[in-house]
Amino acid sequence: MNVEISDVTRRFGRNQAVAGVSLETGPGVFGLLGPNGAGKTTMLRMLATVIPPSSGRMRLLGRDPDGYGPRREIRRRLGYLPQNLGYFPGFTVAEFVEYFALLKEMPPGRVPQAVAAAVERVDLGSRARAKLRTLSGGMLRRAGIAQAIVNEPELLLLDEPTAGLDPEQRVAFRALLRGLGERATVVVSTHLVEDVGAACGEVALMDAGKIVFQGTPDELTARGEGTGAAGDAPLERGYSAVLAAARSARAAA
Amino acid sequence: MTFSHEMTGDRDGLPGRDQCPPDVDLHRVWLGVAAEVWCRRPGPVERLAGRALRSPGLARALVTTPSLLLGWIIASAVVLAAGALATLGTGAPFVAVFAPAVAAAGIAYAYGPGIDPAWELSQSMAVSYRMVLLVRVLAVFALNAALGLVASAASATAAAVTFGWLVPMTAVSALALAAATLTRSATIGAAAGLAAWLITVLSVHSAAGQLIPAVASSVLVAPYLAVAAACAAIAWFATRIPRGTP
Repeated sequence: MNVEISDVTRRFGRNQAVAGVSLETGPGVFGLLGPNGAGKTTMLRMLATVIPPSSGRMRLLGRDPDGYGPRREIRRRLGYLPQNLGYFPGFTVAEFVEYFALLKEMPPGRVPQAVAAAVERVDLGSRARAKLRTLSGGMLRRAGIAQAIVNEPELLLLDEPTAGLDPEQRVAFRALLRGLGERATVVVSTHLVEDVGAACGEVALMDAGKIVFQGTPDELTARGEGTGAAGDAPLERGYSAVLAAARSARAAA
Repeated sequence: MTFSHEMTGDRDGLPGRDQCPPDVDLHRVWLGVAAEVWCRRPGPVERLAGRALRSPGLARALVTTPSLLLGWIIASAVVLAAGALATLGTGAPFVAVFAPAVAAAGIAYAYGPGIDPAWELSQSMAVSYRMVLLVRVLAVFALNAALGLVASAASATAAAVTFGWLVPMTAVSALALAAATLTRSATIGAAAGLAAWLITVLSVHSAAGQLIPAVASSVLVAPYLAVAAACAAIAWFATRIPRGTP
């Protein structure tokens, strides 16, 4: 298992963003669904070792991120696309990807080839020498994806990766995800149900800091059958039904 | 292989594929060319830093990130030049009085989520952001020392003045760094450093009747060093990855 977390919580002052989540997942594409404020981004930031959990246990790529040495090793094998990708406007696309390849401690001799491959994979080859400040939002998102995959990560964490991508790019990106998921664990946080249906083998639905559903997209779809839940597509109806049930249970408790 | 090639599985869909011998992997050839053309060639400073730091990533962070770009370097040079001119005109080492405040502001503004656009990403990297920060600190001190040597030389008190103010500069900069890391605010760090230095200079002025002992008195070297050490420890503590707390 590349991700093993047990009863993990994360508090920010009095606000509990993640409340006792347990999760295990191996290679494949894992979707993290949920409404705004459900705790998805906090969950991903903990998996990216950006913030530690307030309590609970985590093992990533078979290592405990609490220790400096294991954490460094995890980070070498990690790819992370934050929700708000910060970038240096004066960098070119290639320089941006190369910068993070070096910070991931890739062997310097391998970096140029890896950068070229990553930039090509996100279809930014024609803009590789363009300054980031000249790119559109969708292109910046793809540059962010390129830096995340440049080190061929074993654990890839993507927070709203399709935000800003046009429909054609989103379809292509899902194909890229499926390819990456063949040998790596890819965790995709999104509120777009169709991304999950098209690319993920397994999905967890978060609400109010808890996982309220975990299973395959088909199983989530089945939860919506015959419930009259809102949604244009079967998976959306499953999503709505699970969320409604979770909220009812919470209100009753 | 691009987004679209990933989608279709068309690995041979590159221009000129049909004019190429079948045993040539045109995609691989193109990647080799792109790798040569696109990536930045490290300059002599970066290569030297990479060897000294034993980390190409740290060296790249040192020479390319915006916090080390022209803005504060020009500001430092201007303030130090003004101090040197004042020193030439009055015969008193005003460079020393100005320099610590410059360094404090430089350090504080070289750090923080509001300053580094890629702050979130940098925290998930194998090269620790604390190390990047420390390297930047080193760069600030080295540059200010170099500028100080040049400026002080013009006033004929080069070595004494430079060594005199490097110590308080270290203390004030460390304080700014500690405040910035604790509060995660470069502005608060800068304000703390500047305020501390102002208080020190004014205290010395009220005790001795002049400003210069704040940077010329050997009695103050030990307290400055103690403050620097304490603040460095605070900065180290604040930038560690904390364990989870219930």
